Amino acid sequence: MRVSYQWLSEYVDLGGVSPQALADALTSAGIEVESVRPRVERLRRVVVGRVVTCGPHPNADRLKVCTVDVGQDALLTIVCGAPNVAPGQRVPTALVGAELPGGRISQAKLRGVESQGMLCSAKEIGLEVRWLPKSQTEGLYLLPEDAPVGADVSSLLGLDDVILDLSLTPNRSDCLSLRGLAYEVAALLERPLRFLEPHLGDEVLDAGASPVRIELRTPRCPRYEAQVMIGVAGGPSPLWMQMRLLAMGVRPIDVVVDITNYVMLEWGQPLHAFDFDQVRRGTIVVRQAQPGERLATLDGQERVLDEDVIVIADAERAIGIAGVMGGENSEITASTRRVVVESAAFDAASVRRTGQRLGLRSEAQQRFEKGIDPVAVRGALLRARQLLQELAGAAPVGGVVCAEQERPAQPPLLDFSPRRANQLLGTDVAAAEMAAIFRRLGFSVQQLSEEKWQVGVPTRRADIRLEADLVEEIGRIHGYDDIPATLPVGPTTVGMRTQAQRLRKWTRETLAGLGMNEVFTYTLGHPDQLNALRLAEDSFYRKMIPLLRPMSDERIALRTHMLPGLAQVAAYNLSHGMTGGCIFEIGRVYWPRELPLREQPLERQQWAGLWFGEQAVRLWQAGRAYDFYDAKGVLEAWLTSLGLGLRAAFVPIQDADAPWLHPGRAAGVWIDGQIKVGTVGELHPETAQRLGIGGAVYAEFDLDKVDECLGGAWKAQPLPRYPAVRRDLAVLVPQAVSSAQLLAKAAQAAEQAGDILQDCRVFDVYVGPGVPEGQKSVAVAFTYQSDERTLTDEETEAVERAILRAWEQAFGARLRG
Amino acid sequence: MNTEQLQADIDNIRAAALRELEEIESESAPDAENASRRLEAWRVQYLGKKGLLAQVSRQMRELPKEERPRLGQVVNEAQRVLQDRLGRARQRVEELALFARLRQEHIDVTLPGRAPARGTIHPLTRVITEIEDVFLGMGFSIVEGPEVETDHYNFEMLNIPKDHPARDMQDTFYLTEELLLRTQTSPMQVRTMEKMRPFAPIKVICPGRVYRRDEDDATHSHAFNQIEGLVVDRGVRMSDLKGTLEQFARAIFGPNQEVRLRPSFFPFTEPSAEVDVRCTNCGGRGCRVCKHSGWLEILGAGMVHPHVLNGAGYDSREFSGFAFGMGPERIAMLKYGIEDIRLLYQNDLRLLRQFSSVF
Ligand SMILES: [Zn+2]
Repeated sequence: MRVSYQWLSEYVDLGGVSPQALADALTSAGIEVESVRPRVERLRRVVVGRVVTCGPHPNADRLKVCTVDVGQDALLTIVCGAPNVAPGQRVPTALVGAELPGGRISQAKLRGVESQGMLCSAKEIGLEVRWLPKSQTEGLYLLPEDAPVGADVSSLLGLDDVILDLSLTPNRSDCLSLRGLAYEVAALLERPLRFLEPHLGDEVLDAGASPVRIELRTPRCPRYEAQVMIGVAGGPSPLWMQMRLLAMGVRPIDVVVDITNYVMLEWGQPLHAFDFDQVRRGTIVVRQAQPGERLATLDGQERVLDEDVIVIADAERAIGIAGVMGGENSEITASTRRVVVESAAFDAASVRRTGQRLGLRSEAQQRFEKGIDPVAVRGALLRARQLLQELAGAAPVGGVVCAEQERPAQPPLLDFSPRRANQLLGTDVAAAEMAAIFRRLGFSVQQLSEEKWQVGVPTRRADIRLEADLVEEIGRIHGYDDIPATLPVGPTTVGMRTQAQRLRKWTRETLAGLGMNEVFTYTLGHPDQLNALRLAEDSFYRKMIPLLRPMSDERIALRTHMLPGLAQVAAYNLSHGMTGGCIFEIGRVYWPRELPLREQPLERQQWAGLWFGEQAVRLWQAGRAYDFYDAKGVLEAWLTSLGLGLRAAFVPIQDADAPWLHPGRAAGVWIDGQIKVGTVGELHPETAQRLGIGGAVYAEFDLDKVDECLGGAWKAQPLPRYPAVRRDLAVLVPQAVSSAQLLAKAAQAAEQAGDILQDCRVFDVYVGPGVPEGQKSVAVAFTYQSDERTLTDEETEAVERAILRAWEQAFGARLRG
Repeated sequence: MNTEQLQADIDNIRAAALRELEEIESESAPDAENASRRLEAWRVQYLGKKGLLAQVSRQMRELPKEERPRLGQVVNEAQRVLQDRLGRARQRVEELALFARLRQEHIDVTLPGRAPARGTIHPLTRVITEIEDVFLGMGFSIVEGPEVETDHYNFEMLNIPKDHPARDMQDTFYLTEELLLRTQTSPMQVRTMEKMRPFAPIKVICPGRVYRRDEDDATHSHAFNQIEGLVVDRGVRMSDLKGTLEQFARAIFGPNQEVRLRPSFFPFTEPSAEVDVRCTNCGGRGCRVCKHSGWLEILGAGMVHPHVLNGAGYDSREFSGFAFGMGPERIAMLKYGIEDIRLLYQNDLRLLRQFSSVF
């Protein structure tokens, strides 16, 4: 909210408090001031001038030569290009040497005629032209006829004011008014308040004499008050009022509307004035709209309403939307002579919903939806009545008519204990200071005992409902800076990560150590991104949970799969000059139990990796495309570091398991042959092509499952006491036989032939000259060892023969010569 | 044949043999095979069964008997010297040969090294982990919760009923009437208390992703991370909040950091505060980053609202607590001088690879 420093100073003495100091005090008390800036950046030596004569320019058709009285001995000659200049006008006149927002004015010849200054437009003197009607922004800015000639325009229009821009938290709607702000500032600066609260009772005129009748037909309007005024003289409001509205960012319209807005800024209570002659049968009805009911609002739009909207109606039709905007049919016009001014309380939530539905956010609505002070309903109406009498020549007919469904809530009395306040804040504020703070805020304090106080909170502070709220008032007015820094006392607690958290952290560090780069992608995506994955129509990956109201076309649903996000990163990097990389992400996928969604979905922790393009280019060697074994090497190292190296098996996948992978170059990773924790493989060529990243290897693991597989405590193995024997065998087998099959068969045969085989692994696979078509040569290294004795050649050879026999029977293996 | 003559012959043979050996050594250095062959020929010529020294020995039989032992010694001595010298020559030739072979296998040692490039950890998780470690050190545990939350936990239990104006502060992605993408990690305050009650103290942090209907720009993102903190016990004070956050700020931003609390509003804390640290860019003198205030707002905090405590099963007359929430993106941006939040989600390897050092 914009706040005029000058206007505010009318209600609380700001002498000696600079705008910046005021802003700092407010900010440190929780009323954040976002900016402090002069209303007009620079304006000097601009005075009220009266145009005396106005003649043609000898050398230019469009220019005029004027003589202007600025209260000096001689008239000034000023060349003016504005089409609306005329003798008798009072206009802002920049003297020679004047400083304007747009620059300095010096004496100059304009097309051969000496000009001793400049006649100014609204824009040239820095007025807020966006809130001025067009008639006042085109050509010269015309001042009222009573503007004193020679007077300084900057102070006359309050352009030397300073504007504070407040960013209010939603609880402090009381500060959406100068009244509320004045209370706050008075408490902060410890200065007396000059705001006059109305003395209820003074205003009493005969309500029965009023020509207006009010009917409340909805529970959403607890209170409605109205005052009828007659003899209204229309026209603009006085200059000082227009200037104050402008300074606060409100458009001046005419004297009646300006008064309602002025009082709203002053009191925080929105008012609305209807042309009483348009209120049929003099009756105001507050009710819910009928479904489909129509109303043209003041902004010229035809609105279709529904039952949730509260309308102000007369005996026959709607004449306004409560708390949001008036109707055209009852608008104040130049010919309006009788008005009825409304001051009411409306249900905040209802006003909020209506505004949202109609796409409106008026000043009035913003105040209603945050809650208003019930006391201000009457106060603001009386203030408006006074101003209409003073400024619009109007007279009241009868008194305030009041319809209410509930008495305004009495100000709450809250229990308060100074000891508890200090305990909660960790401070040592004296009880006397606390009492003083409450009184400065306008709260009443009754000290029943040292420990038991009762604090009365005025209705304007609806945010204060609990003792904790009072403690905050003490804290913030006393100053948060005085709260010391301590650490919680009490038992020491152990802080450590859970196994699942350690698993994620370790995985991240291990993969980074193995050369991969971690990425962080968005979890909202589009189901179309899955099209590249060759999924079946009914694949559960297609069940992405949609947002009800997405923000953009691309991010409309929660991801079920990690590949599209990683592929996007790969594509981005390939298109930005990188030849490849290996990236991974640890994050969640969101799997609904059913769609439409009925309950919270499964959120699974996954890690996914993508090896794309060529390995980081070596400066002096050609790059090489990543292949399956690059990825598998990383996975094996990672699994080994988790203690799963020996328990993990890479098993060729079934096509349907992971259709995004190359069916012949992909594996499921199984732990103990029982739990599938992940898959790895080259991307299916179709997938790779549709993702636009060329060949790539992709792996994904379900970390929740990996977590379940992690072993508990383990002990170190004793060192072997007898030497190991290593022997190698090379055999020819059909190409379809996997090394895992060979090794498993060897282990099985060896166990039967004497339990001395310690380890066996493939160390070479060869296909080419010397090996028959369809076959491959596999070289396996065997390590034999016994805990009990040194092995003899006979023993190892016997096992070796058993292995060869088993291979021969199972796979038709032949020893390679 | 007399003794003198024979002795002279022996001396000559010995001298010639040594000379020839040196020749072989010096000439044959690069060609080890040739050198070995020549050494063998040399051995046969001088030390072989029919070699020159053997021939001389045979001639000794023609000498008078008393002369023979002395001359025999001379022959033996010559034989020993040559044998010994041959051994050294062979060794030398082998060394030369090995050296020559290794020279053949030379590589260009001036080419750059090929150690596997270390990977990198994303700046965001890096910062999150760092913050986690600070709080773990202070005895906090880490809890995690669902990103798809219920209206109940994300709002109602946090003292934000329907139509509360505070719901405007965080426009929400709804999935259904009741389910939404959490707008904050604060629902974990309630979930944690419900799970832990009546145990005290509770000291937890909760890192995780949150979502808001914000247009993506340099400082806003529809998805970002938050780290929530919660301490509940008997007698927890707002000063404990300040002290805890001061420890945190010093660990993350440097030992001389100060924190400043400013009154603010959150529906689920009372009193509430915004928390500032001294500008990390200018040290507090004022600069563009801190909008010339010398302070940077890094988190929101406060004392857990009595409604939240009571609702989650901790009687607010007996227990109190503090809570805070911070944005790792903002902290990462400040720490690493990244000016656009979108860069954190763009994953440009040229940026990510800059984060290769651990310190
Ligand atoms: Zn700074």
